[in-house]
Amino acid sequence: MSPIRYRPSDLVDFVIIGAGAAGGVVAKELSTAGFRVVVLEQGPYLRAKDFTHDEVDVLFRAALINDPKKQPNSFRRTPDETAKRQQCIEYARLVGGGSVHFTANYWRFHPEDFRERSVLGAVSGADLQDWPITYDELEPYYSKAEWELGVSGLAGSNPFDGPRSKPYPLPPMPVKGSGVLFERGAKKLGLHPFPAPVAVLSQPYRGRSACTHCGWCEAFGCEMNAKSSTLAALIPVAEATGRCEIRSQSYVREIEAGHDGHVNGVLYFEPSGREVRQRAKAVVLCANGVETPRLLLMSNLANSNGLVGNYLMLDPGLIALGLFEHAVNDYKSIVATRVLHDFYRSDPKRGFYGGGGLDSRMDFPPASFAAYGMPKDGPQWGAAWKQGIGEYFTHTSGVLSHVSCLPMEQNSVSLDPDLKDAWGLPATRITFRNHADDLKAMQFLLDRQIEILHASGAKKVWTDPVEDVSYSRHLMGTCRMGNDPQRSVVDRWNRSHDVRNLFIVDGSSLVTCGRQQPTETIQALAYRAADNIAQLARRGEI
Amino acid sequence: MAAACWAEVLRAQKPSRRFEYFDPGTAAEVEAIAESIIPGDSMPGAREAGVIWFIDRALAGYDEDKRAIYRSGLASLQVKRAEVVPGSTTIVGLSPEHRTAVLKTVEDTEFFRLVRLHTILGFFGHPKHGGNRDAGALKLLGMETSMHFQPPFGYYDREEK
Repeated sequence: MSPIRYRPSDLVDFVIIGAGAAGGVVAKELSTAGFRVVVLEQGPYLRAKDFTHDEVDVLFRAALINDPKKQPNSFRRTPDETAKRQQCIEYARLVGGGSVHFTANYWRFHPEDFRERSVLGAVSGADLQDWPITYDELEPYYSKAEWELGVSGLAGSNPFDGPRSKPYPLPPMPVKGSGVLFERGAKKLGLHPFPAPVAVLSQPYRGRSACTHCGWCEAFGCEMNAKSSTLAALIPVAEATGRCEIRSQSYVREIEAGHDGHVNGVLYFEPSGREVRQRAKAVVLCANGVETPRLLLMSNLANSNGLVGNYLMLDPGLIALGLFEHAVNDYKSIVATRVLHDFYRSDPKRGFYGGGGLDSRMDFPPASFAAYGMPKDGPQWGAAWKQGIGEYFTHTSGVLSHVSCLPMEQNSVSLDPDLKDAWGLPATRITFRNHADDLKAMQFLLDRQIEILHASGAKKVWTDPVEDVSYSRHLMGTCRMGNDPQRSVVDRWNRSHDVRNLFIVDGSSLVTCGRQQPTETIQALAYRAADNIAQLARRGEI
Repeated sequence: MAAACWAEVLRAQKPSRRFEYFDPGTAAEVEAIAESIIPGDSMPGAREAGVIWFIDRALAGYDEDKRAIYRSGLASLQVKRAEVVPGSTTIVGLSPEHRTAVLKTVEDTEFFRLVRLHTILGFFGHPKHGGNRDAGALKLLGMETSMHFQPPFGYYDREEK
């Protein structure tokens, strides 16, 4: 059956803005529940056959992401500075969104992540809050996400995980050399490494074939459909209902509301530049933690308390690399095969808020390694550098940290007063500085990363310095979830407090960011929100 | 899927005949800088890998907006060259030692950082962009490319089995 095409004048049940990790889930859930859905996606509709191992296009020419040349953003550390043009945010810009180009680490948040304020108390200089929902409320949807998308892992292997109602649907991926070394070092130190849960198929699953270990996961699209993106796993199901249209290359500029305050349509640009208005009974906004608040600000919607865009949380992870005697060949297979959560919990005895997870990885494809991966105390070009790189590329392993980031009101997404994008719309302005405790947590984790590398036998270890985040692919917190309409943007069901037929379902509703790796939580929230939206719609309560 | 594999592209790759952006004189100067960044030895260097063709295509296309950095960077570099090696007339005409000495004086500039990145992308990047001829990067890195690898992937996971 060829997918349905609606006319812009058709009053569809839902317009979903963004076909990514969250939008793909919502599209599949609402269309299979019988609703008529149009998904507007700013990026192209690529298929597995379109993806490549082309590092130049993918990592240096924005083939799959927001293009800084067309979608610049400005950046400043504090609200009293004038922002300068400087790219600091990255998101996937294609059907499937971040679920196509992510590393595919698939971590649940821990039960305590939802109630850190109650457990730890207030943190000075930040606005740490409990979530309005608990881990137990989200747990069925974590399981649902793992089974619908296809996740490989070993239930019970992480002693710090919350309770689970189901095991993973697929066994873990084979361990790589970087995972063996990580496990060896971590166990020597008395830690608890476990097989990485990943949204990659270790075995064939629901008509998709298993991973063949080609090694180009992070930032790339999977040519085998073995990475469990919404593009591979859910969007085909949504389209097969005959009720869901994926309308790619549609750049939304405004969500429109009527005199009654309800939203009734979405304005977007076609590739030709022509403006189109799609009518809808309700809108589900899934455009990511930066584009979602930007669109609400451009539409002047859902922001009666002025909090849209605030509490931006980014990803303060750091890599530590080590040179080993023998070949690791970390360029093969998935990125990370071992993880540990021993330092995840915020421990007041450390004297600061926060913690992190660690995973095993070298983290660089060849050109990126040559450009940025070699030890900074050695030559960066010329004969000696060239002689070293052959050994370093194959013999390097590493440990990456995934660190907490405190929510702070002044860290925000706003509209730049001067800078415009290629469509003439106000560019995103990012204001961001880490809380001092984020930096302390980064340093604490970095010391642990170095210990693990030494314990696993590294001949030489090198790292980047701890500093405030200035570039991130994790974009979270900017339309906070909460029970109090004065202090949050969406309610506990991801519904706008202000606009009853507007739902906001993506990284922006996260109250805290766990220890990064937010995709599974974003998708679990999307399943839960979609479940509720479908019930409301059936009862005529939207 | 096959389109992803370098071998396929390499078989189809034909040497370019004509620059799209550079004049031949400028190309020779830039190529000499690239060759100092990745010099040929027992393994191919930037010249043999055809890095200059990558840079030419980049400046003719995606990095069109970076032409000014090349223009002004090359002009300053020529001034440095005349200071460091009096009597010299071109960068390509310098001995490798002299060229390295001249480039050391500019290695913290935006220009040099860009040429270094372009050289690396041309050398290690996908051959379809004009560089990485004969898969020199794979030889240098000891890297295989394939859509299908089987564990063990290296020494340590083999040892573990």
